[in-house]
Amino acid sequence: MRNILVIDDDEIIQNVLDKVLTKEGFHIELAGNGKEGLSQIEKMAYDLVITDLMMPYANGFEIISRLKKHPNTANAAIIVISSITNEDSIMDGFKLGIDEYVRKPIIIGELVMRIKKLLSPRT
Amino acid sequence: MFESPYSFENLDVGQNPTWLNWFLSLPLVIQIAVVSILISTCFILYIQYRIWYIRFKNYIYNKRVKYIVPILDDLITEQIVLKSNASQNQFGEPAFNIPNQIRAEFRSRKYRQIIIDRIIKYQADFTGTIGTEMRNLYMELGLDKVSFRKMKSRKWEKKIRGIRELTNMDILIADVNILPLTNNKRQELRSEARNAYIKLSKNEPFKFFDVTTEPLLKWDQIELFKTITTTENIAIPNFARWVTYSNNKSVVAFCMELIVYYKQYDAAPAVVKLLENKDHLLRAQAINCLGKLKYEQAAPQLVHIYSNQPLNCRLEILKALGRMGNKENVTFLKQEFMYSTDFDIRKNAAKSIVRNSNKQQIDLLMESCTPENQLILKHNLNPLIKY
Repeated sequence: MRNILVIDDDEIIQNVLDKVLTKEGFHIELAGNGKEGLSQIEKMAYDLVITDLMMPYANGFEIISRLKKHPNTANAAIIVISSITNEDSIMDGFKLGIDEYVRKPIIIGELVMRIKKLLSPRT
Repeated sequence: MFESPYSFENLDVGQNPTWLNWFLSLPLVIQIAVVSILISTCFILYIQYRIWYIRFKNYIYNKRVKYIVPILDDLITEQIVLKSNASQNQFGEPAFNIPNQIRAEFRSRKYRQIIIDRIIKYQADFTGTIGTEMRNLYMELGLDKVSFRKMKSRKWEKKIRGIRELTNMDILIADVNILPLTNNKRQELRSEARNAYIKLSKNEPFKFFDVTTEPLLKWDQIELFKTITTTENIAIPNFARWVTYSNNKSVVAFCMELIVYYKQYDAAPAVVKLLENKDHLLRAQAINCLGKLKYEQAAPQLVHIYSNQPLNCRLEILKALGRMGNKENVTFLKQEFMYSTDFDIRKNAAKSIVRNSNKQQIDLLMESCTPENQLILKHNLNPLIKY
């Protein structure tokens, strides 16, 4: 079973992603802020991390750079979900190594398809 | 034994000693002190009461949230998130399978505001199927009626809340209800109503420009600009209509900003007519608009009126001539640069010259001008400096 970590301070997004992705057969772990997210990655390895950019304690960019350096998440795909529309911020995210940028409000079906595509074995 | 001169026994004010008589017999300083202490005590008691009241209200609110939000979240998860096409049931049947008891609770005065806020939060986070279903749920629970009732409230802040809820849920508001609010005396309310009108009106989102007599403040303009430029599928009209006919100067000025943003070249002749307007601020903005549209046909008229204009309009003319990119204007710009005594005029003329001249021409000009003008020219040659 593929492991996904969701780091978001919005409990609605947490709840919906938890329900939808569990139904799709993934194992989901939730973290309410950057600090919790970084402590979660100490416990197990993840195949995908979904993170917000603006959160208390540690912002998304800081988290992404830490994820890329940590052995449990160094190879994990990263999806950023954010309402930020600033082009520079999005570009900064891609420079740090994110795989997808999904803008809020989210189309849940589209997000699930992107996740499946990212986690499907590449031929 | 010591006896106080202010005891009741020693009072000789009137026949029956009362608290008032006793108080009046005290020295003035003491009277003032007593009154101050009484007022302060009452004030502190009132503040304490308000603190307790607000804490109690928050406690009750949090208790209600804790009870009702998990029920709503479960319902949304089961019937919307995990089950698509929830509303495609047979005609006439309720789209959502909500037990009557819960339905009544959702509609009750105690919980409905919490439900509305939660649904709006979902709507802000999700679009597509979930977004559409949230709107359906909001309608089915009759919460739109609650928001419409708020719009009829006497309190302006409640009206704003109603408008905001309906706008977030994309519920159409009749012109007869919303249009008068776009011209309300209360700035916050009219700003909210204008934004809502643009977002919700499908055919003529800018109709309120026709009726608005209150000025569009700078902040209103920023908000409106953001709404107009970020709302999808909005019908953009030709803004020349308001530039020509509106009596509201702030509407005319704002329309010129929109003309530039949407590059409405057809509107340029209407803007040219504003060069004869008595208001120099409006004239300056019209010149700025023509420059940004690069409407070269207006250049001779701008040069012609230049000498009769106040400084702000002159500066705008110099900038506009630079933006238009017409080489014929360079002679005029050079003349202003060489002979004007005003620093700002020389600075802006130099900027426009640099924009429209090659290196050779600038070198020639550099040789023929004063040391101060040489510095101005050098300053303008730096591509990092913009104004």
